[in-house]
Amino acid sequence: MSTSTSHTEQTIDVKDVDDGKTKLRKWLNTNFRIEMTDGRVLIGVFLCTDRDANVILGACSEYLKGSEMDSEEPRVLGLVMVPGRHIVSIQIDDTTPPQKYYYDE
Amino acid sequence: RIDKAPVVILHFDCMDLGTGGISFSKPGSSGQSPSVVDNQSEPPQINADVYDPVTEVEVTSTKSPIFNNIYPQNQWTMDSSGATTEVIYNWVDITQDFFKHIQDLKIGELLHDGHLFGLFEAMSAIEMMDPKMDAGMLCNRGNPKPLNFQQAVDAGKLKIDDLEPAELIGIIDATMACIVSWLEGHSLAQTVFTNLYLHQPHSIINKTLKAYCIAVYKLLDCIRDCINKAQVFEEEDFQPMGYGYRLGSNPQGGETYDASHKVSEQKCIAMLREQGEELIKKAKSTEEEDKDNLWIALAARIRFTRMYYQAILLITKKDSQSGADCVALLNGCSDMMKVIIRTSGKGTQPVENSDSPNPMGFEPMINQRLLPPTFPRYTRIKPRPEALQYFDEQVARLRHAWKITSCASFHTALDFFMEFSRQRACILSRSALQLLYLSPSPATTASMAQSAMNTPPGQPRPQHAFVEILRESVKNFVNPPALTPKSPMISTPQAREFVENFLARCVRPFAVLLQVCGHNRARQRDKLALLLDEFAALQEEAESVDAVVSGAAGTGPRACFGTWVLYHVLRIMIAYLLSGLELELYSVHEYHYIFWYLYEFLYGWLVSALGRAESLANDATRRDSRDSRKRKPKKRVRPYAREGLLCQVMQNLCGGYYKALVAFKLQGKIRQPGAEFDSEAVRYKHRFAPLAVLTPPQVHYHEFCEMTQPLQYENPVILYLGGCKHFQQARSLLETVTTPDQEIQDLLKVAKTNFIVLKLLAGGHKRDSTTPPEFDFSVHRHFPIIKLV
Repeated sequence: MSTSTSHTEQTIDVKDVDDGKTKLRKWLNTNFRIEMTDGRVLIGVFLCTDRDANVILGACSEYLKGSEMDSEEPRVLGLVMVPGRHIVSIQIDDTTPPQKYYYDE
Repeated sequence: RIDKAPVVILHFDCMDLGTGGISFSKPGSSGQSPSVVDNQSEPPQINADVYDPVTEVEVTSTKSPIFNNIYPQNQWTMDSSGATTEVIYNWVDITQDFFKHIQDLKIGELLHDGHLFGLFEAMSAIEMMDPKMDAGMLCNRGNPKPLNFQQAVDAGKLKIDDLEPAELIGIIDATMACIVSWLEGHSLAQTVFTNLYLHQPHSIINKTLKAYCIAVYKLLDCIRDCINKAQVFEEEDFQPMGYGYRLGSNPQGGETYDASHKVSEQKCIAMLREQGEELIKKAKSTEEEDKDNLWIALAARIRFTRMYYQAILLITKKDSQSGADCVALLNGCSDMMKVIIRTSGKGTQPVENSDSPNPMGFEPMINQRLLPPTFPRYTRIKPRPEALQYFDEQVARLRHAWKITSCASFHTALDFFMEFSRQRACILSRSALQLLYLSPSPATTASMAQSAMNTPPGQPRPQHAFVEILRESVKNFVNPPALTPKSPMISTPQAREFVENFLARCVRPFAVLLQVCGHNRARQRDKLALLLDEFAALQEEAESVDAVVSGAAGTGPRACFGTWVLYHVLRIMIAYLLSGLELELYSVHEYHYIFWYLYEFLYGWLVSALGRAESLANDATRRDSRDSRKRKPKKRVRPYAREGLLCQVMQNLCGGYYKALVAFKLQGKIRQPGAEFDSEAVRYKHRFAPLAVLTPPQVHYHEFCEMTQPLQYENPVILYLGGCKHFQQARSLLETVTTPDQEIQDLLKVAKTNFIVLKLLAGGHKRDSTTPPEFDFSVHRHFPIIKLV
């Protein structure tokens, strides 16, 4: 069943010349804001994900629920993995256009 | 452009060690980090209170006060201007899209930037919502935000005046429980500093509580100082980190550093003394006839705190004049502890099922956000009765440790250290023992000796008291002519210099040996193995000294120094092998060569080393008595008779086990590893590897095979009988000891029981059973009782 849905999606995506993977790839190295099931908010750089939406964020900071962001002191966590089942919402920061870094030969 | 690329995941955890304790740092932040440490001992600079987390927790600042030196550059900044909280984000929700897109991934496929981030990096991520990894989870279990000192006072939840004595007792007992939890290896932030009163002791109006809280600061500092000096802790024993709380001379007094809040040791003691006296007065003035009324109970706690602090202070400062004082203080502590335990029910008690050790004054979550990201372990504070018991026993251990000061010789001292370690004492008493024996501590002595060795030969070496202790030790053990003042050999300057150099070289390994004895049991094994390398070098040196000294005297070779070092080497080797039994590192199918090695070689060598020492010492005595004819012939003293006897006991025990094990093996009673996964030669080599560098040379596997070959064809009954004989021998040797201590009694029980078990086996009991026998280490840590099931 899942193969058929993904297949239809893929055909739709192909119309946009983008499949899901390419779109996800564009988001790599941008800032994500993830709200978790327990209400905490994590802000960090999107580094990695998989089919189960387990997301790895780099340089992550944790903010407590309900508090306005600038009034609350973030707790620096560093590198974290958020299991997909604990993700409530994902937001992307579109102020910084995605940048690509390459190693110079 | 490479510079800008976010190649960041810097998971180096570096440590900054300093007088203020230890803090974590990352590479590149070294310029900053010392300021945290300095801050605790020096008057701070203008902005120094940034590091003050107690008052800063709620104050908005850009960085977490503790960790601003830790993760200074781990923002994955997209531009070099530095992303701080000032950055304005424009969040766009992509939840739907995201969950849709990930379905294009295959199961197990990772989507990542292959250049910069891979599976390896992914492994070091903390998993959110995993209670074992995610410390933050506990912060919002629906609990309201923890209040800090000021907020709690304003909200009327924290009394700073008009406290009932029962409330004071409750607070003090809970604080003691926190201190115990800290001493058992938890962090200060999660134990003692969950006590809000300690956040601003100078704002407390109640004088008793204020004095107590300030004293706790001083006490913590003193304990940490003691443990840091001794250097016998590992991360599992003790957490020296202060989390920015200023321990020591300047307890926190509000938002800024205030010089007027400086409290000297004397002032602190005087404050406690004054409070103690006041409380006694109050106790007398009350109508209550009860000898344990609340005021008495409170006074006992204050007096205990004072005497305990003074005692630890004396131990840490090691004032040689203060011996009697310290004993008196510790005795006083014991007396007070009796009252405290008796009256522990009089204070306010923790609410059932609550995490807080006392209803008022404690906020278990207050420091949660100060903890490093992977520092989850929620600390359960030790229950009060157990904590008070711990203090009581600790005071007794400290009193016992004090006895080291009357150990005359290095030998008795070393035995004392080993015996003390066997009792698995707490970190503070282990540290105290180190400081009490050598000032400032064996660890410092060792490092000083090390640096002295590196000084150019022309300069005079700093003399250390430990050299004299070692000189006495050699003298008592083998009485070498080179150390006898009247001896003609000492006149050879070359020989004398050789001896002095050798003794100076002995300082480090022997000081480290004492230090190793202070470590926890599990850590001692590896440290002993490392130490064996150093002793190997020492052995070589001892040999050449013996040669030079004998050569200068024109006498035959006398291995005085060699014997002395050999004796210690053998003891370390034995301790190393035995520790594997204690730590349950060996499998049962390995026991036979462990016990074989101990039985055939190490104990035998030790017995002969003791014998040689005795004859060398006697030689010297005879030499002396020839010089002075008038002295009546001395009675032959055998100072090592008991030790030699015990060695024979152990040797027989090991022999008994060895023979029994071979017989078990022959009867198929011991499970062997599958042949394709197993190489006995490799295991053998690994087990005895640290013994390889020394004299006597290691007995290699092929030798083991050759020597034990005949036994493979032996009748198991003969082997059981042989083992039986060994246990019987051990037993009769043990029964000659006139004053049996606990150790002897335990060994006797083991020998007796195993004797009977082997006798049964020899008689054919359970001959055909292949159920493996059990080895029960509950009576003795090294020598098990064999059980047939």
